[in-house]
Amino acid sequence: MMRVLRAFAAYHRAGVQTMFQYRAEIVLWAIWGLVNPAVLYAMWSSAAESNPDHTAAGFSRGEFAAYYFVLMIVGHLAAAWDAYEMGYLIRTGQLSSLLLRPLLPIWKAIADNLSYKVATLLFVVPMWFVFAWVVRPEFKAAWWQLGLGAVALVFGAILNFMLGYLVSLVAFWATKLDAMGEVYFGLGMFLGGRFAPLEALPRPVYWIAACLPFRWMFAFPSELLMGRTATVAEAVAGLAIQAAWILGVIAAFKVCWAVALKHYTAVSG
Amino acid sequence: MIRAIKLILLFARVSVQNIAAYRFEMIMRSIMSVLHLGAELVGVWTIFKNTQSLQGWGVPHMLVLVGVYRIIAGGIRMSIVPNMRRVFDDIRDGTLDFVLLKPVNSQFLVSIREFIVWRIADVILGAAVAVVGCVMLLGRVPPGPAAVFVVMLAAGFAIVYAVWLILATLCFWFVRIQNIEMIFWNVFEAGRFPIVIYRPWVQWVLTFIVPLAFITTFPAGVLFGDSTMVPRATPLLAVLVAVVLLVISNRFWRFGLRHYSGASG
Repeated sequence: MMRVLRAFAAYHRAGVQTMFQYRAEIVLWAIWGLVNPAVLYAMWSSAAESNPDHTAAGFSRGEFAAYYFVLMIVGHLAAAWDAYEMGYLIRTGQLSSLLLRPLLPIWKAIADNLSYKVATLLFVVPMWFVFAWVVRPEFKAAWWQLGLGAVALVFGAILNFMLGYLVSLVAFWATKLDAMGEVYFGLGMFLGGRFAPLEALPRPVYWIAACLPFRWMFAFPSELLMGRTATVAEAVAGLAIQAAWILGVIAAFKVCWAVALKHYTAVSG
Repeated sequence: MIRAIKLILLFARVSVQNIAAYRFEMIMRSIMSVLHLGAELVGVWTIFKNTQSLQGWGVPHMLVLVGVYRIIAGGIRMSIVPNMRRVFDDIRDGTLDFVLLKPVNSQFLVSIREFIVWRIADVILGAAVAVVGCVMLLGRVPPGPAAVFVVMLAAGFAIVYAVWLILATLCFWFVRIQNIEMIFWNVFEAGRFPIVIYRPWVQWVLTFIVPLAFITTFPAGVLFGDSTMVPRATPLLAVLVAVVLLVISNRFWRFGLRHYSGASG
C-alpha cells in the first residue's frame, strides 16, 4: 500500500510539472468549461425573462445564475477525458509501456486528472469570481448543504472518472472508435443536467436521466450546493445512490479490465 | 482560374479515394452526424418546453439557427480544420518547404490540400433543418431572402476561414501551440444561440470585435427576413467584414512566411 501511494505521489508530481509546461494548452481547454456554462446561463436567463412569471422550469434568473455558477465549478472539478484517450494510447502503443510498470495504468490516469485540476486552479478560480460578480447568483445554501455538497462533488468526480475509464475499455476491441468519447460526453451534457437543469428536461428525457448515473455526477452536487435539495434525508439518500453507482462501476471495471487485458494485442513497437 | 479549380478537384478526388478505404468508419461517422443533430433538436425541444420564446426567437427561428450552425460547423470541419491542422504540423516539422517549392500560391495550396468528405453529411442535414424551420415559419422558402442567405453563409464562412488562417499563421512565432484552435471553438460555442440572449455589451463585442453574429445569427435572421431581428444593411456589412478579414489574413500570412526559416535540416 505504501509503495502504491509513493508511486502515485511521484506520478502526481510529474503530472503537475508536465501540466505547467503546457500551461497555455491546458488553459485553452479549461476555458471551455467556463464558456459553456456561461452561454447556457445567458440562454436560460433570457428564456426565464421571456416568460410572463419570469421563471423557467421553476428557476428564476438569479437561480439560473446560482445553478450555472455552481455547475461551472462542479464541471471543472469533475472533469474526465479518458473515454477519449484510451483509443489513442492503444493505437500509438503507449499503453504497452504503461502496462510494463508495476502500477496499473489507471493510477497514472488518476494522477494526470488531479494534476490538470490543480494546475488550472490559479486560472479558473479568479474566472469563477468574475462570473459570479457579473451574474449575481441568488444563493440559499445552508451550511449542511455546502458540507454534504462538497462530499457529493467528490463522489461525482469519482463516478465520472471511473465510468469514463470503464467506457474507454471499449477501445481494446475497437481501436478507432473515437466517437465513443463524444457519445459519453454528450450523454453527460444532457442527462447530467449540464445543458439544462433536470427539471427543465422533457419528460421522456427526464426519465432516461433518472435511470442513468450521469445526473449523480453533475446535477445532484450542483443542486445540493446551490441549496435546492431541501432536506438532509434527500441529500443523504443521494449520496448513498452515488456511492452505490461508484461501487458498481468499480466492480464492473475490475471484471472488464481483466477481460480487456487478455484481449490486448499491442499495436506498434 | 481554371487551373485553380482543377487543383481543388484533384485534391477532392484524392480525399474521396482516401476515405473510401475506410467504409465502416464512414458509416459510423454518418451515424454520429445524425446523433449530433438529434442532440441539438432535443436541446431545442428542452428550451421551448420551458418558454414560448427566447427574446422573440421561437421554435422555427431556432431550427433555422441550428441548421445554420450545423452547416457552418460542418463546413469548417470538412475543409478548414484538416487543412489548417496540416499547416500547424508543417510549420512545426519544417515540411512547409514542400508547399513553398510548388509553383502555386502558397496560401491557396495550404487551404485546399485535404477535405474530410463525410462531413458533408453535417452540411446537408443542417440545410434540411434550416429549410424545415423556414417552411414552418413562412410556409415556403422565399427565393429572394434565400439568395441573400447563401451570400451571408459564404461571407460567414470566409470570415471563419480568415480567422483560422490568422491563428495558423501565429504558429510561425509560437510553434508549440497546437491547441490554438480551441480559441476558435470556445468563441464559436456562443454562436449556438441568437446573440439577443446576451447583454448589450456582449452583443456589441460579438458583432464588432469578434464578428460571430455574422456567422450564425445574422444569416439565420436574413432567411426569415424579419428586419426587427436583423438590420437591413447586414448583408452588405457581412460582405465588407469578410473582405476586410480576408485581406488582413492574406497580408498576415505573407508577413508570417517571411519569418519562416524551415525547422528541418
